[in-house]
Amino acid sequence: MDTPSISLGGGEPIIRLRDVAKSYWREELEIPVLQGIDLDIPVGAYIALMGPSGSGKTTLLNLIAGIDRPTGGSLEVCGSELNDLDDDELAGWRNGHVGFIFQNYNLVPVLTAFENVELPLLLTGAGRGERRDRVEQALGLVNLTDKLRSYPRQLSGGQEQRVAIARAIVTEPDLLVADEPTGALDAKNAEEVLGLMERLNSELGKTIVMVTHDPKAAHHARHQIHLEKGVFDRTVEVNR
Amino acid sequence: MRWLALIWKSLLRSKRRTLLIVGSLMLSVFTVAVLQSLLTSLNSMTNNPNSSNRLAVRHKSGLTQMLPRSYEPYLRQQPEVETVCALQWFGGYYQDPRNFFANLAADETTIFQMFREEFGVSDITEAQIKDFQRDGAGCIVGEVLAKKNGWKVGDVVPLTGTIFPINPRLNIRIIYKSPRPSDENALYFHFKLLEEGVPRMKGLSGSFWVRLHRPEDIPRFVERVDRHYANSAYETLTETENAFNLGFVKMLGNIGAIIQGITLAVVVAILIVTGNTMATAIRERTTEIAVFRAMGFSSGRVLTLLLVEGMLLVAMGGMLGLLLALVAATGVRSTLGSLTPFLADFTILPDTILACLGGTLVVGLLATFIPAYAATRRPITDGLKAIG
Repeated sequence: MDTPSISLGGGEPIIRLRDVAKSYWREELEIPVLQGIDLDIPVGAYIALMGPSGSGKTTLLNLIAGIDRPTGGSLEVCGSELNDLDDDELAGWRNGHVGFIFQNYNLVPVLTAFENVELPLLLTGAGRGERRDRVEQALGLVNLTDKLRSYPRQLSGGQEQRVAIARAIVTEPDLLVADEPTGALDAKNAEEVLGLMERLNSELGKTIVMVTHDPKAAHHARHQIHLEKGVFDRTVEVNR
Repeated sequence: MRWLALIWKSLLRSKRRTLLIVGSLMLSVFTVAVLQSLLTSLNSMTNNPNSSNRLAVRHKSGLTQMLPRSYEPYLRQQPEVETVCALQWFGGYYQDPRNFFANLAADETTIFQMFREEFGVSDITEAQIKDFQRDGAGCIVGEVLAKKNGWKVGDVVPLTGTIFPINPRLNIRIIYKSPRPSDENALYFHFKLLEEGVPRMKGLSGSFWVRLHRPEDIPRFVERVDRHYANSAYETLTETENAFNLGFVKMLGNIGAIIQGITLAVVVAILIVTGNTMATAIRERTTEIAVFRAMGFSSGRVLTLLLVEGMLLVAMGGMLGLLLALVAATGVRSTLGSLTPFLADFTILPDTILACLGGTLVVGLLATFIPAYAATRRPITDGLKAIG
């Protein structure tokens, strides 16, 4: 299938996908989800991946984030060819380069906000003092320094998502991936979270790839990429 | 936060479940430790290290049949023999029939030589022994028995006979201390007292205890004695002291097999319960495990965290169970030890402790590894339930 390639230009790409394909198998039946994806995303981009359910947007996000493997093609993300990394190397790569923001926040319920944010730092070898400074800094960025000792059950949905964002940025990753980050939030909290992500992109220069169904959320991104049945449909530059 | 804090917090995620699993493990380990120690205590009755060169000569037809005292000189004349002691179970009680303890009529001249280790003879003076031997109503009692009844040297102990129709009043001449508490729950008095009080016992004894110079001589001695009395009116059965005691243990049935069977059933049951609990606990955290791995925790690290968590859980249950068993053992010794001789030695040995702890950790490892391994091998995207 002939599929358009997308290059957003604007400098050295942080994400370079070539002829990427992904299929799932149900017994003997191959179900193609992504086909022939070529994509160049520059450092500092803020992309909204959009499309109907089953279009392959989350699968594409998972491939970019290194939590899934393609069935074909090559993925170079943050300077690493992901196909060349084994599972443990890929885990280390994710810890160093990618921050995750999930729709349902996915905080660990038995840990405080501070401890949740500290989790990815346990893998970095940072000392206790350094970890404390970085956690406080990350929670400061999301305006939650007064909730350090609060457990997720003591926080509102918007606060939980802000803790999750702090956890995503605490290791200072190059790339943030967000899967429906406002899907579980009301309009006010959604706006707050999107504003925060916009700041992370514009002020801290984080590259963000976000999957969303919500046109309002997508409007916060600089570019919208639409997928349809596993191929790129169109790209829209957003005038904010 | 440190790794152990992370594991500990995860462990206390569902306090009720943690409490229940620790409780069930505690009871299981307690049961296994007590049963195994019971078996050890029973076995110790038939495995007295001081009895390696001691033999019991009794009537071939059974313990209720007597042997003539005239056999004694023949036994004594055998070159392998160091000493011989006539010994007869008296089976009396003190004050209350439920107040069981071993009381026997014994040859007062040879008993100290025969049971010198059990009586701690080195701590008994020659004068004390002479006192006992001179007093026809004299008796010696073990320290456990004396303490239980509040007896001291010089006290009079009235025994009520159950097998023999006499009620001797005995004077305590010696209270002995034995290396094994179970040997201290006994009373011995002069054989002559029984003979004088019970005419039908004149010239008879239920058994002769024989001490050889060397254990290697046992087979030759046994063969010769039993052959010598074969086809007589009083045929003999000569066996080692341990084999003699084993006969009593066997009266309880194949208790070893029963205990091992129960232990196996407990271990299998707890493996299933723990496995099911761990599988449920890990399944409930599928998304969380996927999030950990997405953040950069390798499968091996997540597996290690889950395994340590599972092991910590079972170790807590196991240690509490052992602690309970140790406390119970002290209670059993002090309350039942005087009623049942082998329970006077009842103790949770280091071997049992190690075996229980090892077994607990193996159960924990098996119960945790399978669900944890499956969870860490599951694709992260499946865990996140995020196929777009």
